[in-house]
Amino acid sequence: MGENSQTLDKERRDFIKKVLKGTIGGSLLLVIPAGLRSGIEVPVQIPGIRDQEYDLNKKRFAFVVDITSCIGCGSCCVADKREYKVPDYHYRTWVERYLKDFDDKIYVDSPNGGLDGYQEPRKDLDKEIRDTFFVPKLCNMCNDPPCVQVCPVGATFRSPDGFVLVDEKHCVGCAYCIQACPYSVRFLNPVTHSADKCTWCYHRVRKGLLPACVNVCPTGARKFGDVNDKESEVSKILSGPGVFTVLRKAMGTSPSLHYMGARREVI
Amino acid sequence: MHIQSVRRYLLQSNHNSHVKRIIVGLLVLAVFGFASKLIFAPATFGDLGHYRAKAILEEANLEPRLMTNESCLTCHQHEKRKHLKGTHKTVSCEFCHGAYFDHILDDKKIGTLDVKKGEEIRVLCLRCHNKEIQARPTDKIKTVALPQHLEEKRVRTTHTCDQCHYVHAPLEYVNLAKKMMRIKDEPEKEPCP
Repeated sequence: MGENSQTLDKERRDFIKKVLKGTIGGSLLLVIPAGLRSGIEVPVQIPGIRDQEYDLNKKRFAFVVDITSCIGCGSCCVADKREYKVPDYHYRTWVERYLKDFDDKIYVDSPNGGLDGYQEPRKDLDKEIRDTFFVPKLCNMCNDPPCVQVCPVGATFRSPDGFVLVDEKHCVGCAYCIQACPYSVRFLNPVTHSADKCTWCYHRVRKGLLPACVNVCPTGARKFGDVNDKESEVSKILSGPGVFTVLRKAMGTSPSLHYMGARREVI
Repeated sequence: MHIQSVRRYLLQSNHNSHVKRIIVGLLVLAVFGFASKLIFAPATFGDLGHYRAKAILEEANLEPRLMTNESCLTCHQHEKRKHLKGTHKTVSCEFCHGAYFDHILDDKKIGTLDVKKGEEIRVLCLRCHNKEIQARPTDKIKTVALPQHLEEKRVRTTHTCDQCHYVHAPLEYVNLAKKMMRIKDEPEKEPCP
């Protein structure tokens, strides 16, 4: 009897060891830092990520868009298009032009998503304009994302580090998420036949690079960083004084994208 | 024969036979459900939540196509000397010229990037510097109206921007020329942060 229980114990121990190995192996899979193509010297734009163990649970990123700095050049849109080869007439990020007349009416346009820049003033209005500004739009990276709630197959999800991503291989292209997104940032990619959206350049962030649009912005209207890193620009901005808004706050999506200097008409 | 005895046992009607059938039915369903989950659910699905955990790693391992100004200026030393001193120091190389990885792959040149010339330059410059677009914050960028700017500077209205302004450091040679010609107006201010 004693001998029997010993062998049983041993088997149990082996079993636990195997399970533990599997779990550790699985978790390592997620923390091994992703490398860059060989031989390129790239500055570290976000400290504490490259060549370090990446703990999915310890990072929290935020994006700040400073509307008072945006000049509507469309660099961000061009960069985004080039980074992902986004098919024509689909936009992961775009820039809107707001015009406000003296009756407080708002006119918004975004020719080709701002990809070609704003070469001409809007000609179809004969109103006197009181206020005008550009509003860059991108994924709000909600902490409580409606798109994830509606996905029937679990192809879109919020990762532990706060990025709402799409599993291209698993997506069936039903487009529920596209309808659910209150910010209209999702689209059905005609090439991959999968839902597609702005990822805040997750692959760049994991390599210590800034998102492509932040990297090219000439006036610093787009800012990105780790909120948990007290030295980062974004955490300093967000913890300091200043007026910040999120889009459609009443919907309870709790976005990680914050706007600076946004008029209340911006939605 | 064995199955037959089980079958007989189940089909036999007595006071608790319906309970037995329900339990057996539920067990069969549970086994079927568990087996189909094993077969059809993708690997790593459910490790971190209701999604494929490996998708995070797949997304993280995508290769960037754009690099940074520093990566371009490692080789382009002349542009480095000019670009970083001028008012265009915050402008991305890849915005005007194209993606880094269309140019360099594995330390080898694989293609030539676009260099805008002539009328294309004017379109490119006016993306940012067009005064007609009033949404631009004036403290962030200096804007001009065309052709008024050209008339004011007394050059032909067919002139393209790069005939006076070196694109990488737009005010460098303009200010130098003014100094040489002893033109006394204020040196142009830098609006960029």
